Amino acid sequence: MGVTVLQIFPDSSRSGCLETEKLHKRIMHLDAVQCGMFTVDCDTCYTVTQTGNNRKLHIVHNSETPTTTYAILDTGTKQITLSADYLFDLLLPRLDFMYQSKKNLKIESKGAKYEIGDFVVKIGTVTMSGHYKAILVEVEYLPCHTPALCWSLMREFMQSFMGSCVKPTLPSYLQNRLHDIHTPQDTVQQYVEKFNEIREGTTFAGTQTTGSGS
Amino acid sequence: MADIRLEVPGENAVLEVLYDGTELYQQPPSMSENLTQLARKIDFATDGEEVTTEEKKEEEEEEEKQPFQQPHWPLEEVRNKVRQALTEVSVLHDLLMIVKQKPHQYMVLDPVQAEAPEPKGIHTVPLPEEEPAIGGLHPPHRRPNRPVQDFHIELLRLRQNWRLKKVGNTIIGDLSYRSAGSMFRQTGIFEVSKADDVTGPSSLVGASGAASPLSPMANRAPQSSLRVNVPTELTGSAYIFVCIKKDEEDICSAQLTSSDFVAGETPWQQKLEKAQNVLFCKELFNQLAREAVKLTPSIPHLVVGNQITATIFPGIHLLVGLCHSDSKNSGPKGGTLQGSAAGGGGPAVAGGGTGGTTVGSTTTGGGLMGPSKYKHEHDLEHSLHQLLHRVYHNSFQHPLPHPVYASMGMSKRRRAAGLEGMDRNQLLNMMREQTLLEQIIRQVQHNFLRLRTMYVIDQLAAEFKDPLIVSHWNAFNSPTQSCVKINIVTQGYDSALRTKLVIHIFERTLKCICRDGKIMTMSFEPQELRNLILCQISQHNMAALQGLAKYTGWTVLSSEQNIGTGTIEPLGNASTVMLASPSGNKVIGVHSGPHQRVSVFVSSSPRPDFYPSTVVSEQRWEHLGSVWQEVRHDRMEGRNFLNKMELLMAALTA
Repeated sequence: MGVTVLQIFPDSSRSGCLETEKLHKRIMHLDAVQCGMFTVDCDTCYTVTQTGNNRKLHIVHNSETPTTTYAILDTGTKQITLSADYLFDLLLPRLDFMYQSKKNLKIESKGAKYEIGDFVVKIGTVTMSGHYKAILVEVEYLPCHTPALCWSLMREFMQSFMGSCVKPTLPSYLQNRLHDIHTPQDTVQQYVEKFNEIREGTTFAGTQTTGSGS
Repeated sequence: MADIRLEVPGENAVLEVLYDGTELYQQPPSMSENLTQLARKIDFATDGEEVTTEEKKEEEEEEEKQPFQQPHWPLEEVRNKVRQALTEVSVLHDLLMIVKQKPHQYMVLDPVQAEAPEPKGIHTVPLPEEEPAIGGLHPPHRRPNRPVQDFHIELLRLRQNWRLKKVGNTIIGDLSYRSAGSMFRQTGIFEVSKADDVTGPSSLVGASGAASPLSPMANRAPQSSLRVNVPTELTGSAYIFVCIKKDEEDICSAQLTSSDFVAGETPWQQKLEKAQNVLFCKELFNQLAREAVKLTPSIPHLVVGNQITATIFPGIHLLVGLCHSDSKNSGPKGGTLQGSAAGGGGPAVAGGGTGGTTVGSTTTGGGLMGPSKYKHEHDLEHSLHQLLHRVYHNSFQHPLPHPVYASMGMSKRRRAAGLEGMDRNQLLNMMREQTLLEQIIRQVQHNFLRLRTMYVIDQLAAEFKDPLIVSHWNAFNSPTQSCVKINIVTQGYDSALRTKLVIHIFERTLKCICRDGKIMTMSFEPQELRNLILCQISQHNMAALQGLAKYTGWTVLSSEQNIGTGTIEPLGNASTVMLASPSGNKVIGVHSGPHQRVSVFVSSSPRPDFYPSTVVSEQRWEHLGSVWQEVRHDRMEGRNFLNKMELLMAALTA
């Protein structure tokens, strides 16, 4: 498990498949090997009781870690990650007096997975309750465990097939954890962050799409 | 009821009729005789006579003192009957005592003679109605040698060791290892029945007319009243044949068979054990064969008939075979030339009853019918059994502690996998277990490599006497790793130097740790180990010479481990040592290589004497090297190289 960086690939045409085709073509030029599919899905639950602050609970599954369910408690200021066995899903219905999930907030990123040497690239299309939202590219560099040591290498690699959309600075999430060892939880937290961004982005620019987000 | 006739016969009985016709009458019995006669007719065994017997008992006590005075003692019969009644009453009393005892006990009444004093109806007295725990069973039986054993007792004993259940009117047992964790699909069901015809086995003896004289004696063994019927595919005996063979013959030529017959009628315990063993061997072989097909090594495993051939080293094969012989048909399956010969001897053995085992062992001697050059590796067979038993064990035994909320059968690492967020590859690696075949191949490889290493070291030790090679094998080792420590010493000079090295033997590699801490990894080729030890010997000689020089006061001028000059060694490098005498006028040079003999050269100053002059003030200026002369040290006196060198130094110093 190496360092993972997530990047939203701008999709001006809003069609999705055109841009993923483009990315696929570009990455195949780099001698990538396609090796299967991947899915990351996220359910969000809200607290039922209206007293006090409104907390969110994100339930995330990553197909790369098939036996794990991640539960991320989002208090607005702080995020607490719990990684549990997948039996945790069975526990959730028992918590419905506290948390209730909103079906139309289910968001997932799905797509193909490529390997180029030590890099693993996952090009996913993000859909929220069936509607296409964005393209999310995950790049993982396997041999390294701390973002500080490999960011420049990764940035260069990402720029090679995604172009200028890759900022020269680290994503803010990694910026705070520059010298920590990267764990699977970090990957999932980044996904949640991006998912939140995408959700809010749709509400912000609701005129362009169907505006199904709440 | 006693029936007493009160009429006296009218006439006395005629005792004799003489020739003249006169009849001699018997004298009428006296009063007491009459009483005796009448008393004899009383049957005390019938009921309702207790009072009289108890009364009479006392008076009979006195007369017991002269028991055998006369054969027709008047009241003898009466007394006997009274005594018998007393015995019965006291037996009944004993019985009641046992019945009333608090820790419930069994009482078994065994018929001692043909007619027993006990009532016939009672055979077993199962005291507690529910089945007694096996542990709490104390049968206080004095078991005499009885020809026929009781069916129920035998069933009880059968139940202690085997799983039985009653289906309808039949009793079905299970001898499979399923309850112990086996997943083999073949069932091991046997049927228990009552042996009604005791003549069964004897007729078998009669049928095989050529039965040995041993058979009547064998027939005297206690006849079991219980019969077990095992399925035909589990009859006979089986074992797993394991051997290591070289490449010289084509691989699947040998057909393994066995003629280790079971005698026709064996005690059920033995029969069931054999059948269970057959089942076990079948499962083991089945498992191995499945794995052999599934695994894809570079050289594929061969599964032909009842044999698996796996290549463990180039040219070395492991052969695992299932040898199964059933006692029914005389010819073992796939009989070879020898197999058919043994088959001829088969029926005689089968007919011999239980006694036939001795005969069997003589006729079928070898057991294995394959060519005798295949040595059966008993320890490997044992390891195979052990491996399967471990599989059984692991299928039921989960390592503790085990959280109650986790699903059963998960390993500890698997339970932690979700929490640690293990990815797909890690999970797959965790799931992958070594198959039995892989494990046994690793063990065989290690076994083979160990023997080969042992052979190489022993060969070298026999070849080289000058530095002695002493090897110490660790007695404790794991199935895939062992260790040997090698000491190279020169006899008599072991205080000068000991060269030590440790060799760890793994499955396909050897790891050698030398004295200077160098670690070398070698492959399974024996030549590599040989070269290493040869290099060590050469280095030992050089180092020991320097140690010796320290004792003798010679100075080491130079020593070079890897000299670049001279003839090229086929492997490794030659080394040299130069020693100067204490006075400095003699120099010894020694050259040694792993594959060359040690050669010794001597050079001495041109002039042995020295007269100081104004120009040359000290003797050391005279020590100019002169021509090197080779010492033919194989002609020298001395036990070994160091001894010769010591003598040489002594000679040069003098």
